[in-house]
Amino acid sequence: MPNEIARILPPSGWRSPNRRQFLTGAALLGGAAATGTLAGCGGPAAAGEETLRFWHLLSGGDGVKMQAMIDRVNAESPDFDVVPTVLAWGTPYYTKLAMASAGGRPPELAIMHASRIPGYAPGGLLDAWDLDELAKRDVSKETFADRVWASGELDGDIFSIALDSHPFIAMYNTDVAGEAGLLGSDGLLTEITDPERFLEAMREMQAVTGGHGLSYGYINDGAQMWRLFYTLYRQHGAEMALNSGQPADVDRDVAIDCLTYITSLLDDTICASGADINNAIAEFATGGSGMLFSGVWELPTMQDAGIAFDAMTIPTLFGTPAAYADSHAFVLPHQNDVDEARRAAAYDFVANILKGSLSWAEAGHIPAYQPVVNSEEYRSLEPQVHYANAAEIINYDPRAWFTGSGSDFQTFFAANVQNVFLGREAPDVGWDAFVDRLNTILSKPNPV
Amino acid sequence: MSTTVTGRRSPNSSKNNLHGWAFSAPFLIFFLMFLVWPIIHGLYMSFTGQTLTGANNGFVGFANYGEAFGDPDMWRSLGNTIYFTVISTIPLVLIALVMAGLVNMNLPAQWLWRFSFFVPFLLASTVVSQFFLWMYNPQLGLINDALSTFGIAPVPWLNDPNVAMWSIVIATVWWTVGFNFLLYLAAMQNIPQQHYEAASLDGAGGWRQFFSITLPQLGPTTVLIVILQVLASLKVFDQIYQITAGGPGGSTRSLVQYVFETGFTGYRLGYSAAISFIFFALILLVSVSQIFFNRNRSA
Repeated sequence: MPNEIARILPPSGWRSPNRRQFLTGAALLGGAAATGTLAGCGGPAAAGEETLRFWHLLSGGDGVKMQAMIDRVNAESPDFDVVPTVLAWGTPYYTKLAMASAGGRPPELAIMHASRIPGYAPGGLLDAWDLDELAKRDVSKETFADRVWASGELDGDIFSIALDSHPFIAMYNTDVAGEAGLLGSDGLLTEITDPERFLEAMREMQAVTGGHGLSYGYINDGAQMWRLFYTLYRQHGAEMALNSGQPADVDRDVAIDCLTYITSLLDDTICASGADINNAIAEFATGGSGMLFSGVWELPTMQDAGIAFDAMTIPTLFGTPAAYADSHAFVLPHQNDVDEARRAAAYDFVANILKGSLSWAEAGHIPAYQPVVNSEEYRSLEPQVHYANAAEIINYDPRAWFTGSGSDFQTFFAANVQNVFLGREAPDVGWDAFVDRLNTILSKPNPV
Repeated sequence: MSTTVTGRRSPNSSKNNLHGWAFSAPFLIFFLMFLVWPIIHGLYMSFTGQTLTGANNGFVGFANYGEAFGDPDMWRSLGNTIYFTVISTIPLVLIALVMAGLVNMNLPAQWLWRFSFFVPFLLASTVVSQFFLWMYNPQLGLINDALSTFGIAPVPWLNDPNVAMWSIVIATVWWTVGFNFLLYLAAMQNIPQQHYEAASLDGAGGWRQFFSITLPQLGPTTVLIVILQVLASLKVFDQIYQITAGGPGGSTRSLVQYVFETGFTGYRLGYSAAISFIFFALILLVSVSQIFFNRNRSA
């Protein structure tokens, strides 16, 4: 009961209730007389431990891992108690977080994708991290890979502290690759640097499985389409800049080249022409193909599937090593009325989670905190360590208020490019339509 | 009756009025706070550049409306909504009528039919969406599996822009036809039995009776069902959002979803409010035309 009441009470003990709290209290306890009781038993409960509200979007295996990390830190920290709220990934999460922040009474701490920072920070929805406070807890620029640290930076301030980076990678079945003669003496896939050679290698794997060489699912999934496209686009060394008030600055030739190459993979021999993500995962997990293009978060699924496999960053086929990635990152949603004790607790909690993020690596993600990455334990964690180089070559979404994981941007991409992937539309037609859509949104007033 | 009313309008009337207002107050307060005020405030917002973050909040006059009328996505979503309304209302009325007619034929175990036809209506939209997502799955789905046993090629139910809206309609019909069915069945059971007895004495067969007695007697119910159905279909959001999220390529995105996207994921509350009011005007038009239609009928 005290816990229930503590949640009804405003953050720092008893203040006069606002309308909603009053209605909740009245409904629960049957009238105005109850408010006295609330003050009586709510006060002491809040005095000992600070309650830290923490929103995140991690479900499934990630959610279980995160909960275990929270439980560990809670047990070690007598001063605060972190109470997580898990919301569904994507639009449902980001709309709620934005609205809570716009209202000025959001949770003390939240996890966002670093790629969404440009849609939140300039509008004042996030508070910047205090670098001195972080440094006191051994968290600083030096403890992160450059690109990962920079992902949280905007106009000189740091708005997000990455927990991980989670790139789009290739997992390959070592039995299939071995039989196809594609493994080197170290047991890893031999380096492939030529796009035509990669197609051949996939056909060789297909000859072994009898199914497909490659598993890649994308139907109705803008994120999956974008991840592969942007990996290949950046491998060409091409840039993409999206600034409000200007047309999208993109390399059309490279984009069309990438889309054409992707369609050459989706020929129903190398890869199924119209699979969704679940079909692709199931196919690879049952040995129906030699390679899977997916995010690192599918690693535990494959380990559970019991196939022999290893993982690597997507082969560098167009000259520049590059991997699409994003980061789960801690943010301080903007509060009108900051409670200093709670904010300090948030810093403590984040530092503690970062230092214990080795267990997060088991879920496939690359820990952002370098002391963990450089530790013996991580160095011996296979196959994770085989794609740990991704942190140096990752590319976040081009920055704009509407881009990032689970954003409208990925929906626009799917809307215009899916028919190209399916072979129903020419690459230049789909690409130009996508750029038109971007130009429309760039021409409108920037709402942040 | 009127004399009694005027008779009561004496010294007591203002006190009675006061009591009346007091009894209505709990409702009125909520009505004003959560319906009337949001509508007024929404109208105001549609003339501003208001965003979720507070940037560019100023008064913009009719700029939002101007932008909306030139926004191809707005027109496309409106087109999708109207398309959905047309292709869903027709089966939802006709199939309900056929089902009610069949159940009304004094079949054995009538309660079982009634129950079976109505019960999907009680499911939450999330549940219905999950059912159909699985059944429409191109590789593992029940429907394509059943089709393949008859040698029919798999249909890309949700992946083909030309098919996806029909898939949504099929799910919607299965889900909500039970309500219209119930209205029709109740109306059929209210048709006096003597009409049919007289007709059979005159030698009218089953079909003759259906077209000459049942259908005309169901007239007012049909008007009611069509109006309710058009209004319900225009508001479509839940099942589309959960089954296709508006895809593929925006081919099933309804206007309500576009309002949600521009306002909550796109942050542009002012613009989103303007689109809502354009839609509001459309629904108002439908409702008012219904009133005129009904008035002409009864006159």
